[in-house]
Amino acid sequence: MAMSRDEVFKKVESVLVDALGVDDDEVTEEATLTGDLGAESIDFLDIVFRLEKAFEIKIPRGELFPDDILNNPDFVENGRMTTAGLTQLKRSMPHANFSEFEKDPSVSRMPDLFTVKAIVDFVALKLNQSG
Amino acid sequence: MRWMWIDTFVAFEPGKRAMAVKNVSRSEDHLHDHFPGFPVMPASLMIEGMAQTAGVLVGEARRFREKVLLAKIRRARFDDYCTPGDRIRYEAFIEAIDEAAATTRGIVYKEDRPIGEVDLMFSHADNAATDLGLPGHNFVFTDQFMDLLTAFNVRTAD
Amino acid sequence: MKFELIDRIIELEPDTRIVATKSVSLAEEYLADHFPTFPILPGVLMLQAMVDAASWLTRVSTHFAHSLILLTEVRNVTYKSFVKPGQQMRLDVACRRLGEADGEFAGTGHCGPVEVVKGRFVLRHFNLADENPALASLDRRVIQAARARYGLLCNHHDEASADSAA
Repeated sequence: MAMSRDEVFKKVESVLVDALGVDDDEVTEEATLTGDLGAESIDFLDIVFRLEKAFEIKIPRGELFPDDILNNPDFVENGRMTTAGLTQLKRSMPHANFSEFEKDPSVSRMPDLFTVKAIVDFVALKLNQSG
Repeated sequence: MRWMWIDTFVAFEPGKRAMAVKNVSRSEDHLHDHFPGFPVMPASLMIEGMAQTAGVLVGEARRFREKVLLAKIRRARFDDYCTPGDRIRYEAFIEAIDEAAATTRGIVYKEDRPIGEVDLMFSHADNAATDLGLPGHNFVFTDQFMDLLTAFNVRTAD
Repeated sequence: MKFELIDRIIELEPDTRIVATKSVSLAEEYLADHFPTFPILPGVLMLQAMVDAASWLTRVSTHFAHSLILLTEVRNVTYKSFVKPGQQMRLDVACRRLGEADGEFAGTGHCGPVEVVKGRFVLRHFNLADENPALASLDRRVIQAARARYGLLCNHHDEASADSAA
């Protein structure tokens, strides 16, 4: 059953409003979860749980928000992603836009990758995969 | 005064569901400030009652290996309030659980009538990547809580 | 156990916002159980401190018209860090809406620069006499106690305004 990107966006918007207590006009495509919408680490888990329920999909840990990469010494050096780390990150987050992040791949800037658009694209991809 | 907001468990299905009871008594100190002249069980302490019910359910599901700490009140809603003489029941269900966290939903009853809902998230402090200076041992599951489960033959950490 | 979570009111703008503090002392009884080897302010009491602050904002904004102010809804309260004995938590609560029957609030708690809690909630305000006129005397008792307590909480606040007026 195909869902248009617009429909996916509306549902993701609803999930973020419920999980973060923000108003729906704050949920724009470019808004970052942590910076603009005030999400904490526990909120990321709440968002994954709600997305699974809203879209009837399974999101294994680390698939939407790859936290395991940060803990790997091969991928992070002196607070910055290594080339190998960046490659791994891109592979596990095909839904994210890395053009800004690549200019300065500091770990502290990683939360900026988690935009509303990245989540909508992730869900759209997932829904296409399951047919 | 003890920080114990459930009196006993009346149901315990490991990994799934638990129900605990709390009797509201006029002799409880905190009711005399909330409010002087008309004691009402504070909703925040009913949220704690649910957190204790759900917290033990979650802890037992992972054999009390980790510290289970309340990380988020996703949502709580109360349609009525409780006063001395009322028997409150907290029914908690595990919705999701893994090594980092657990999500629970719950119904609060006044006698047999549902009067509220409390949905919570707990983090498993030994596994969530935090540096909050927590002591090494499991300070959360004291004897007070473990004693409540003796009637249910539940498994504890090896 | 005293169930008053605010120690002092620092600022109050009727209908708008309140700033208050709660200090945590090792003498508080519940700390013996929460937890025996690691005493920290329970999360629901961090919420209750925000609720108390919002209640005072409601009482002053409505001129102590109601006796009972009850927490009826909570949304997205997240806990980021602990408050330990010896620390002081500063509550900042903003009123998003204050109506005839209830009010919506958004609050945060800080220990120094560290945010320890944030969330939103709804408080319902009413009088017992609304449903049962015979209980009006109970309402008066509760309101009288609230006025007396408020006097204690903002004592220094009034002194400060008196000083600045002088």
